[in-house]
Amino acid sequence: MNRTRRTLRQTLTIARRDFVATVFTPTFLIFLLAPLIMLSFGAIGGLGAATMADSSTDRIKLVALAGDGDGARLLRADRDLRRIFRESEAPPRLEIRPTSVDPAQQARALFNDEDIEVSAVLYGPLERPTVLHGVAGERTGTYMATLAEQALRNERAGTAERLSNATIRPFERERATRSGQQAAGFGAVFVIFFLTLLLAGQTVGMLAEERNNKVIEVLAAAVPLEAVFFGKLLGMFGVAILFVGFWGTLITQGAALLPGDVANALGAVTPAIGILPFALVYLTYFALAFLLLGAVFLGVGAQAATMREIQMLSLPITIFQVAMFGLSAAAASSPGTGLATFAEIFPFSSPFAMAARAASSPEIWPHLLAIAWQALWLAITISIGARAFRRGVLQSGSGGKMKLSSLIGRG
Amino acid sequence: MGEALAVSASGLVKDFGGKRVVKGVDLAVPTGAIYGVLGPNGAGKTTTLRMVLGIIEPDGGHRTLLGESRPRDAGDRVGYLPEERGLYPTMKAREAIAFMGALRGLEWKEGRKRAEILLEEAGLGHAIDEKIKKLSKGMAQLVQLLGSVVHEPELLVLDEPFSGLDPVNQERLEALILKQRDRGATILFSTHVMAHAERLCDRLAIIAKGTRRFEGTVAEARGVLPMQAHYVPHTPHEGIRALLPADAEAEGDGWRFTVPDDGVEPLLVKLIDAKHGISGLSIERPGLHEAFVRIVGEADAGDVA
Repeated sequence: MNRTRRTLRQTLTIARRDFVATVFTPTFLIFLLAPLIMLSFGAIGGLGAATMADSSTDRIKLVALAGDGDGARLLRADRDLRRIFRESEAPPRLEIRPTSVDPAQQARALFNDEDIEVSAVLYGPLERPTVLHGVAGERTGTYMATLAEQALRNERAGTAERLSNATIRPFERERATRSGQQAAGFGAVFVIFFLTLLLAGQTVGMLAEERNNKVIEVLAAAVPLEAVFFGKLLGMFGVAILFVGFWGTLITQGAALLPGDVANALGAVTPAIGILPFALVYLTYFALAFLLLGAVFLGVGAQAATMREIQMLSLPITIFQVAMFGLSAAAASSPGTGLATFAEIFPFSSPFAMAARAASSPEIWPHLLAIAWQALWLAITISIGARAFRRGVLQSGSGGKMKLSSLIGRG
Repeated sequence: MGEALAVSASGLVKDFGGKRVVKGVDLAVPTGAIYGVLGPNGAGKTTTLRMVLGIIEPDGGHRTLLGESRPRDAGDRVGYLPEERGLYPTMKAREAIAFMGALRGLEWKEGRKRAEILLEEAGLGHAIDEKIKKLSKGMAQLVQLLGSVVHEPELLVLDEPFSGLDPVNQERLEALILKQRDRGATILFSTHVMAHAERLCDRLAIIAKGTRRFEGTVAEARGVLPMQAHYVPHTPHEGIRALLPADAEAEGDGWRFTVPDDGVEPLLVKLIDAKHGISGLSIERPGLHEAFVRIVGEADAGDVA
């Protein structure tokens, strides 16, 4: 058996062990369902917040102190204007109350009434109404004033009937909106970030465990450390593919069950280069991002001798990842800018930023260039990472201290 | 000559942190032999073995492993038990052995089959499907040893294999080593416990302070020290000390001294003539332990000088 085949076989043996050790454990289920757990917590939190908001919204009201005639005019104007608001942005419900002898006093009393939470109160003739609003109710005060204006305008038109009957119908876009593309870009960046964060952390943790168990010397004796290094990366990459496959299948199958309007809304979140090319470059960028960052983390993680040191190292590692995510997310939200170009060129943010670019820009050629560029950096990073890994794991030469020259030069 | 050596190393040198820890060690391990590398703690045994196996690269000298100048090229024909034992705690015993075989080129399926047989033979049949973390330290160590022989290596390298084992497991391990030798494998092991080396080794090297101080058979090592005589006079009188060799030391009812170059008979004649008589006399060959202490002690003395 020649050296290459032997190294490949050994690499796959390590990868298989790491894959099996990761996947066939109860904790992997938690890892696999982590997005669901995150969504559930988000949903529960959102539901709670919404319930609280709803319960308080029901109590908040706009009140107009008016006679029957003005009251009806105001209600009609409110009905017309309210349609232009989204439900979540609509002003509080309008209530008409008969005017007492002293409407100013009546209005002030409403603000102190425990049975009703008044945002704004209008009283007086519609031509010269007085509007009182709470400290945070300036917009609702303005809305009440607009209602009075609209009620009078309706009256001046000389009819209570509609003067214009518009035809309103939805229009389906042929292309994704810019914001939809940006959303797709951000989503692409986030998923890669999320997976690399989890998996790279897991790889470093596994390495720490092996150092702790002294297994690493068994591996180092049997297998070139480069094969151990690649095996670990491949094993975790296999886990990532399983993860993506699971959620990819779930999402694509689940999309068919979504209601039409939700599916249409999701349809707006479409990558600019098209679904299939996007899937291909996305997988490539995911692999490159994982291998690039994984190589850095393994190389750096191998320098730690104890679990405590590993834990200390995990902070700068995470900060580095978050920085790459932040840079790429900024690039996704402002495509074509200098910042986006920088993120696309910088090797460790390039896979993220280019995935975002695939969502917002239809050209294919920059991706071919970027993949070649990232592959070059992958080779450099793996080469340096593997040397650092060898030195760190065996603590050989110069007492285990790293010298830059030894990492770049002959190992 | 070269073909008859499983391991050949000359002038191996290794520096750590600017300090030279191995200072030109030579090894010549004949094929099919049980070869011991003896030395006190910190002598450089583990570093030497690691260099021989190619786990770390020497800073000087060269070595061949099973005829290969790149030790990695012989990797599938070598088994290794490191000093610091390591197994994945959540792996089952059978899988752990098969995994170590797979690292050395053995098919997983075949590895599992052989693992079952090896575990049964080692008296660990009940632990085949047990996770490593459930096994005692000694049992786990035995599992690791089985993992290092599952692919039937031509050379088995064991670093301090007896440390941490109880006497029963030490005996099991000795039996296993002899079984491997009988199979035709070469065994190279390090230890600082002389009893095992004395019982097992065909040849041995003693390393101290990073250099090789002795190489030869156990008998040759013991021959480093002269024979010792233990003499008990029948009726000791004053003045007996003057008749005995200069290095004689009182021990119990008698005296212990090095057998003189011209033998013990002339001395005995003098003692009988002086009416001291002979109540007991034994001539003893020093053990490997004493030889080791002398050789290592000389290294220390040399260092001081």
